[in-house]
Amino acid sequence: MDKKLQVQGLTISFKTSNGKVQAVRGIDFDLMKGETLAIVGESGSGKSVTSKAILGILAPNALIEGGEIIYDGKDLLKISEDEFHKIRGDKIAMIFQDPMSSLNPIVKIGRQLTEAMILKGRARQRESRAALNGSLKRLSKAMTSALAADDPAKAKDIQHKIRDFNRFEYKHLALESDYNKAHDAAEEAATLIGVLDFELEKDAARDIKDRVGRINRLSEQSVHDYVVKERAEELRELLKKLPAAVRNGADHHGFLRELLKKTGEILHEALAKEAPNFFTMGYYLTFSGQPLPQGSVDEMNAQMRKYLDDHFMLDFISDAKEGLRYSAGQAYAQKDRCVYDLEKARSVFARDSLDKKECRETLKRLTKEVESSIDRLELEKDTLAYTFSTALQSEIERYFSSIVKNAKEEKRFAGQTAKRERLVSRGRTPEWEVAPKSITDLEAVKRDIQKQLDQLAEHYRDELARRDERDYEAEAVAFIDALKADASGVVNRITKSMAKEKAIKLMEEVGIPEPRKRYNQYPFEFSGGMRQRIVIAIALAANPDILICDEPTTALDVTIQAQILELINDLKRERRLSVIFITHDLGVVANMADRIAVMYAGKIVEYGTAEDVFYHSAHPYTWALLSSMPDLDTNEKLDAIPGTPPNMIYPPAGDAFAPRNKYAMQIDFERQPPMFRISDTHYAATWLLHPDAPKVEPPQAIQDRIARMNEKREMQHAE
Amino acid sequence: MQNNQEPLLRVEHLCQYFKTGRSEFKAVDDVSFDIQKGEVFGLVGESGCGKTTTGRTIIKLYTATSGNVYFKGIRIGAGIRSYQNAIKKARDTYGKKLQSAQGEERERLQKELNDVIAAQQKEIKAARYDQKNCDREFVEANVNACREEYAEKLRHASEAEKPALLKEQKAALRKAKNTKMVTRIQMIYQDPIASLDPRMTVREIIAEGLKIQGERDEHVISEKVYRMLEMVGLVREHASRYPHEFSGGQRQRIGVARAIIMEPDLIIADEPVSALDVSVQAQVINLLNDLRRDLGLTILFIAHDLSVVKYFSDRIGVMYFGKMVELAPSDELFLNPLHPYTRALLSAIPLPDPLYEKNRRRIVYNPLAEHDYTTDLPSMREIKPGHFVHCNDKEYQDYLKVLK
Repeated sequence: MDKKLQVQGLTISFKTSNGKVQAVRGIDFDLMKGETLAIVGESGSGKSVTSKAILGILAPNALIEGGEIIYDGKDLLKISEDEFHKIRGDKIAMIFQDPMSSLNPIVKIGRQLTEAMILKGRARQRESRAALNGSLKRLSKAMTSALAADDPAKAKDIQHKIRDFNRFEYKHLALESDYNKAHDAAEEAATLIGVLDFELEKDAARDIKDRVGRINRLSEQSVHDYVVKERAEELRELLKKLPAAVRNGADHHGFLRELLKKTGEILHEALAKEAPNFFTMGYYLTFSGQPLPQGSVDEMNAQMRKYLDDHFMLDFISDAKEGLRYSAGQAYAQKDRCVYDLEKARSVFARDSLDKKECRETLKRLTKEVESSIDRLELEKDTLAYTFSTALQSEIERYFSSIVKNAKEEKRFAGQTAKRERLVSRGRTPEWEVAPKSITDLEAVKRDIQKQLDQLAEHYRDELARRDERDYEAEAVAFIDALKADASGVVNRITKSMAKEKAIKLMEEVGIPEPRKRYNQYPFEFSGGMRQRIVIAIALAANPDILICDEPTTALDVTIQAQILELINDLKRERRLSVIFITHDLGVVANMADRIAVMYAGKIVEYGTAEDVFYHSAHPYTWALLSSMPDLDTNEKLDAIPGTPPNMIYPPAGDAFAPRNKYAMQIDFERQPPMFRISDTHYAATWLLHPDAPKVEPPQAIQDRIARMNEKREMQHAE
Repeated sequence: MQNNQEPLLRVEHLCQYFKTGRSEFKAVDDVSFDIQKGEVFGLVGESGCGKTTTGRTIIKLYTATSGNVYFKGIRIGAGIRSYQNAIKKARDTYGKKLQSAQGEERERLQKELNDVIAAQQKEIKAARYDQKNCDREFVEANVNACREEYAEKLRHASEAEKPALLKEQKAALRKAKNTKMVTRIQMIYQDPIASLDPRMTVREIIAEGLKIQGERDEHVISEKVYRMLEMVGLVREHASRYPHEFSGGQRQRIGVARAIIMEPDLIIADEPVSALDVSVQAQVINLLNDLRRDLGLTILFIAHDLSVVKYFSDRIGVMYFGKMVELAPSDELFLNPLHPYTRALLSAIPLPDPLYEKNRRRIVYNPLAEHDYTTDLPSMREIKPGHFVHCNDKEYQDYLKVLK
């Protein structure tokens, strides 16, 4: 199993007027592909903050103090807002707690479902257009420099080639989208015919007239050169007879079915046909000036392919290859220089106290150097080089701001300590404690800065060593494919009707009956469970890899809760989603979770598979959660957790749960427990697991419950 | 529950319909149950099934459409729809007979019809009177008792004591006048954030009922508020704070204090723990359990979380779309669930047991497929002593077989 998401040492605080609230204090977890990770904790334990950090929607007063969230090789805490746009909603989607407040009450469901699709579609179109134009321009420049540095005729030829490519690529896309539309229409008509035929046979069909009308329209649309061409006349004849057959009423259902069957046969036959290669066809139609070659699809493809290769493609690929080689060569030369400069700059940041002006100048110079060392024609962007300057800058700024902050902090500490001592010496005991010094380790920051330089230098040295292994021919083909993909992004934009069809399919998938009717209704016309289904459909619209569910069933009652949980489980299985499920109710999680992380006061206190946490829980907080929840066989008094979670402006020095913990030892109040390993999958942060700690059994209520469950299971087995 | 004692609360054929445009929505439809003194009666069902409406109709926040609510044997709420329907039905049946009848026969029928109408109209009048004036007699009795008590005291008092006594009598009379029957029933609401006025201090919130009842002695009020706060596990210092300064569980404790300061006989707890975290839920449930033991409270506990209801209640009524479908002692209900909806509800409870959960099969309740009520109409039937199910004859026989 591969890791989908990795969170390491995530630390988040919020600035408030009363001080800094430390909401998340260094948590680590991984999310595998296709698994459900449940994060369980009381309100205020930082579970929602974690999920919001993953989505990049933290409140503006949030401070991300450390750690990283790695998704797809990128650190989500460092990437720009533009890059986040491509991930948020598309790759990582979220279901919110209250379906009442997460839907707009005055906008119809349909529009809310399609809104993101259309907006994202438009944005994608804009992006693709910019990418396509940029790539073509850069390619043409590289090709000209490589091949025609002092040959104006050749340069002109290259420009012509680029223009031609653009022209026939658009033709290709137009042909393809026409074909796709007709193909989809034929497909839908065939399915509708199948359904109607089945119902007519069962004598349970309603609205026959409307549906025959729809079949008629769809079949008309499917008449296309490569879909229903040969038998178009026959099909039209059949379609003409259909309305009459409907008008003649119930006695003639046999006749109607006969007609429908024939129509369906024609459509199925058309659908089984292979589609020609539209890319080659685009070129052939644009430049050959001849009618399409005759023969089977394979023959046609081969002939058009030959024409394309002879007249254009082979030349173009070899030219592009030269262009790429030239561009890479330039970049390599620059990279060589960069490695040298990076090593030289290391000394600037190795001094005892850094010089502000010098640092900034070095930063400026390095930024320029690295920028010019990036090969802009590379398909796979070199993330390290692209983010180098911002990362370095933030580290440098952190160093200089820490110097100022540390001085202030020392002064405050000295002042407060003096004041306290003064009070104590007068015989009074002040209620407040002196908050400990929070000082940044300047040496560590310096080391971080040098690490940035070393990383990039190492990376460049690697690349330079591997420069001879590159296959420019394959890269040129891949580059042309990327151009094709960008062009298709420009042409194939999502229209309203396409979005609507997609939305209706989604509504069906999440189990909303009569989606076509429901599409035009307002949120208040839906019950709570149905509303939550809509929210799920919106989250799924972009086909995400990761779904974050933030208490999706807390506002729902038991039966609806069970339905929604089943739905999320089914969708997860069908779409291979990875799910992060956030809740305060351990009971809900038993059903869903593969693994569970229990959070308290911004830290993960226990982490393991569902079986580990429910049957062999080790942390007193997990015990408390489990025993405070009644089940169907509970009769004795519930073990409520006394007190409230700590104030996170002044997080406790030791284990945060210690004041509410009846098993707390002296060390719990003094030092934070590390994560103790119980098994390969099971970890818990409590001093009780230390070899020197006294042996403590989980509370009787939990032991009883597990015994009861085992007994029940054995009884079932016996049966 | 086989005792001859008058139940604390008796609900008979309660109906509550809401007008929605042209049609009527039957939120509560013919629900009957009674609650004995000192017991906890749980009412469960999914959202929208009318359990909250039942609670609110009992406490007279809505006017019942039909049916009666008796509290300590006094009718405190009554609807008139059933009597109106009876008149309508009589008019229909007699009208047809009258058309065909002649002479004496006709006169006799006319007289019979008039009698029926008069009888039903009397019922309507009585119901309207009770609905409006159920408190009047209670108040009058209280006031009279108060008067007599003080008359007695005044007779024995010396001249010097008299002014003080007269003042005391005035306050006592005011209180007696303002003490209503319904204040013996108090409610705890679901959402501890929305149900507390953010602009009132805790003291004002808790004391509001007392002030309405006519208590003007600040010292008495303070003492009582402090006692209540301590009873629900808060401290005196909390009295001067505002609701936003408290956590969810503490706020719900304030809601409980506000209810018990009126020394009620019956508390209607409308989903008191649904909006709380699991760990805090346990605190509030334990608190209610302690209060019930110490103060001898009777509680109508409305919730959708079956494990909590099972833990807390003596008897449970299951509601589905305005109807009570099953009513039984809680152990009996979970041991022998008979109505298919109850079984569906029980199968949806999540348990903290992953191995069991991953194999749990949820039963889906589809009323159209489960029941055939076209000819044989269902009603509430007692299958076992204390165990009632909403079913028709055929189902009754089936259920009896299941129980054996």
